[in-house]
Amino acid sequence: MTSGAMHGVRTPALHRTFGPIRPRPRWLELRLLGLVALALAAGSVSLGATVTRRFGLYDAEGLLIYLGALFAAHAGQVLAGRRTDQILLPTVAMLGGISLLLMQRLPQDLVTQTFFGTTLDLAQVQLVWLLCALTVATTLGIVVRSDRWLRRYKYTWAAVGVGLLLLTFVFGTEVNGQRLTLQLGPLSGQPTELLKVILVVFLAGYLSENRALLVEQDTRIGPIRLPPLPYLAPMVAMWAIALGIVVIQRDLGAALLFFGVFLALLYVATGRVSLVIIGFVLFLLGSAVMAVLFDHIRTRIDIWIDPFADPLGSGFQVVQALHAFARGGLLGVGLGAGLPEIAGRPPIPEVHTDFPLAALGEELGILGVVAILGLYLVVVERGLRIGAAAADDFRALLAVGLALVIGVQAFIIAAGNLKVLPLTGVTLPFISYGGSSLLANAVVVGLLLALSDKGVEPPPPPRVGSRWRRVGRPRAD
Amino acid sequence: MLGSGIARAPLGRTTIHVAIVVSLAFAVLAGAAGYWGVVTAPELVRSPNDAAVIAAARTVPRGLILDRTGKALASNTSDANGEIHRVYAGRAISQVVGYASTIYGRAGLERAYDPELAGLAGDPLTDAFAKFGADRYDPKDLTLSLSLDLQKAAVAALGKHRGAVIMLDPKTGEVHALASTPTYDASAIADPLTARATFEALQRDPSQPLLPRATLGRYVPGSVFKIVTAVAGLGSGAITPESTFKQQPGTEKSGLLVDGYRVHDGHHPKTGSKALDLIGATEVSCNIYYALTGLQTGGAGLVAYANRMGFDSPLAFDLPTAVSQVTNGDGTMPGGFTDDVELANAAYGQAETFVTPLQMALVAATVANDGELMQPRLVTSMTGRHSGTKIIRPRTMGRVISMADARAINAAMVQAVEGLLGRQFTTGAKVPGITTAGKSGTAELGGTGEPHSWFIGFAPADDPKIVVAVLVEQAGRGAEVAAPIGGDLMTRYLKGAP
Repeated sequence: MTSGAMHGVRTPALHRTFGPIRPRPRWLELRLLGLVALALAAGSVSLGATVTRRFGLYDAEGLLIYLGALFAAHAGQVLAGRRTDQILLPTVAMLGGISLLLMQRLPQDLVTQTFFGTTLDLAQVQLVWLLCALTVATTLGIVVRSDRWLRRYKYTWAAVGVGLLLLTFVFGTEVNGQRLTLQLGPLSGQPTELLKVILVVFLAGYLSENRALLVEQDTRIGPIRLPPLPYLAPMVAMWAIALGIVVIQRDLGAALLFFGVFLALLYVATGRVSLVIIGFVLFLLGSAVMAVLFDHIRTRIDIWIDPFADPLGSGFQVVQALHAFARGGLLGVGLGAGLPEIAGRPPIPEVHTDFPLAALGEELGILGVVAILGLYLVVVERGLRIGAAAADDFRALLAVGLALVIGVQAFIIAAGNLKVLPLTGVTLPFISYGGSSLLANAVVVGLLLALSDKGVEPPPPPRVGSRWRRVGRPRAD
Repeated sequence: MLGSGIARAPLGRTTIHVAIVVSLAFAVLAGAAGYWGVVTAPELVRSPNDAAVIAAARTVPRGLILDRTGKALASNTSDANGEIHRVYAGRAISQVVGYASTIYGRAGLERAYDPELAGLAGDPLTDAFAKFGADRYDPKDLTLSLSLDLQKAAVAALGKHRGAVIMLDPKTGEVHALASTPTYDASAIADPLTARATFEALQRDPSQPLLPRATLGRYVPGSVFKIVTAVAGLGSGAITPESTFKQQPGTEKSGLLVDGYRVHDGHHPKTGSKALDLIGATEVSCNIYYALTGLQTGGAGLVAYANRMGFDSPLAFDLPTAVSQVTNGDGTMPGGFTDDVELANAAYGQAETFVTPLQMALVAATVANDGELMQPRLVTSMTGRHSGTKIIRPRTMGRVISMADARAINAAMVQAVEGLLGRQFTTGAKVPGITTAGKSGTAELGGTGEPHSWFIGFAPADDPKIVVAVLVEQAGRGAEVAAPIGGDLMTRYLKGAP
């Protein structure tokens, strides 16, 4: 804690927001990035040896561009001289590098996009998005020094989020029975990816402000003690939005993600297990109703219960993913040696968006899968740590929420791949192909980086509004 | 700190709880990865739905399947477009070898050994490093114990009948013939040009040619089941070879009253008032003697000894087998019998008892091999182009009864074929010049249908080299149809083709 922060409460305006910038070495990050570069180079050589039967990097150009960008991002942060987290970037960079190797290894014609007359294929498009994501994360990590723009306008953010949702509903195009994609000229994006960040900002704002009320006051219904009902309204609204997403977008995964993060944050803020249980039961009830009402959700659940009932029909995708894990075994078959092609296609449909973990499970084995899951846990751990060390509730809840967005999303899709949960169409953060997903997760990483800097502008004093007095709490300051 | 909140501290506590929950959730994922990648992997990578199996089927010529003399039973050919498909050595082997079709999947050994034939087999743990080898596929040639000549003879002997014949070596468990009729042309299913028409016609055929009756057909056994009862009675000590039942001769005419139900005898009581022992009762296939033996042994003992010979679970065999049963097991009596009536009837094979022909061959093999049952098997070696030859050795399913008990039943079965009275029930079963043991069966189906005709036996009785089990569906008495087929095939095996 700097001395500037100590007296910052009373004189926030005098805080040195834009002082002289002094470069500050980030040795830990550099060392970790060195390890990442080494691991990715080894992976690329392994891939090259399998595919071309020659010793050397596979698609060296792509990998070198990526590694160059990583070290450039590192250099940028060194020059900016901020004391932000040094583990987050290398961890995410490793995941992104795995993504690049995977996309290089898949059939390149799975995706082709033409930007300004240049046609790019799968690995090239993904590389472009990875570079954009790296830029976004690093820029946010360097530039964001104040959280006022997030804190103050939480309802505006919420409105933007709902607006995005409505926009998708009205103008969205339907892909595979899900209305997720918004087309804008040559670019298409999935607004729900950004919505999850906005949601966390709103929740952090709302919960940090009303936390005391939710904790300390009770509404008694018989033996059940609940927080004051008016303050549960946002919870009900969240529930409605989550189910709205299911109805409008037919996107069970996003609903699960939003609601999971919401319940976790509610618990972090209030420490009330009863709220989590009630919310969970409400979600199950809602899902049950949805399953009754909508065929495609029921189909998903049927497939989940027994994909082997129709292994070549409706269960094909899930069954093939499980077979991929089985072929991989403990150590995997090696990068490039898995995914036997049937009629020139990978055996798992949509492997690059929905099933990258199954592909990696086959080629890197269970050990590889566990290592990748471990990387996500590191991201979550960094986020929770940043949250625990944050200067006030808003920042703490924001950091925890952002970390959980990554962790819960990774869990949902990994669980779908492994038949632990029904398969839903969310992406595997940093690994799945897709620009929206990479950019939204880059925003998360960027904000976490910014929040981790203890030297930033201190939070404003808590607002002591009329609500506090009604509750009869002493003034906090 | 900055005084920026009430109850600031608890956030850390709840955050730790969240961290614990997230860690546990991820641990579940790691567990699931282990489950699919290690626990279920051996089964999944062998499945015909596995992408690697499917992919290999289109690009890599499958391993050959050879009979015991090296004759090709299944080999590869390519059509005008250069697409590879299978050809088979005739219709006789179809229910054993099966087919491999790009349209209709696989059946028989082609299915059971699909990963080996396609060159993908492997245990995920021991082959963890082998997977890094340069050559992905190592198709293996299978050598079977099956004899193509004997198999063809068995199918020819069954002729137009629906039925099954099993011939095996009781000392090694090697199956020499495993015939089921009617059969079909597997080559026509493997050839993409004729597959659809052939397969659809076979599916419509009411005689079910696609059903491998020898392994998957379940039949009322009738009197051949008495050998199971004899094994259980002697094995459990309930009877000795000399045991007689004094009420048996007296009830031959009126029938033995068990709980109000009368057990009648099929044989004409030429034995007069003599109380029959094991040899005498087996010679004339005395229902009353075996009903009393079953009651004396008790339901639990009968089921236990049957299970030692493979009843009540699929057999450990190269092909899938149906489960043979002594009883439904839904009763409350020991062993699962409903009452003594069911037990008494089961003892001579006419209750809720259903068996596969292969299972009955194993019963005969138990007696022939002096009480020790060898696991039946078809594949004797696998030869990979890279991995070399792997010999599959005989395995025992354990000792069922003592050698003395087995010899006693052996003697009784000899009497059933060679005895003056016995030969009337097993006409044509004897191998000329060689002591032959056997037991016929006539399985009444109730109603007006003709009974199933059964024969199990082996020869030479003092040093059994071949066991035979014959079932002919609804063909009449065992002595008339099944026994001569068994005798002819044993003769052919022991003395060569006529």
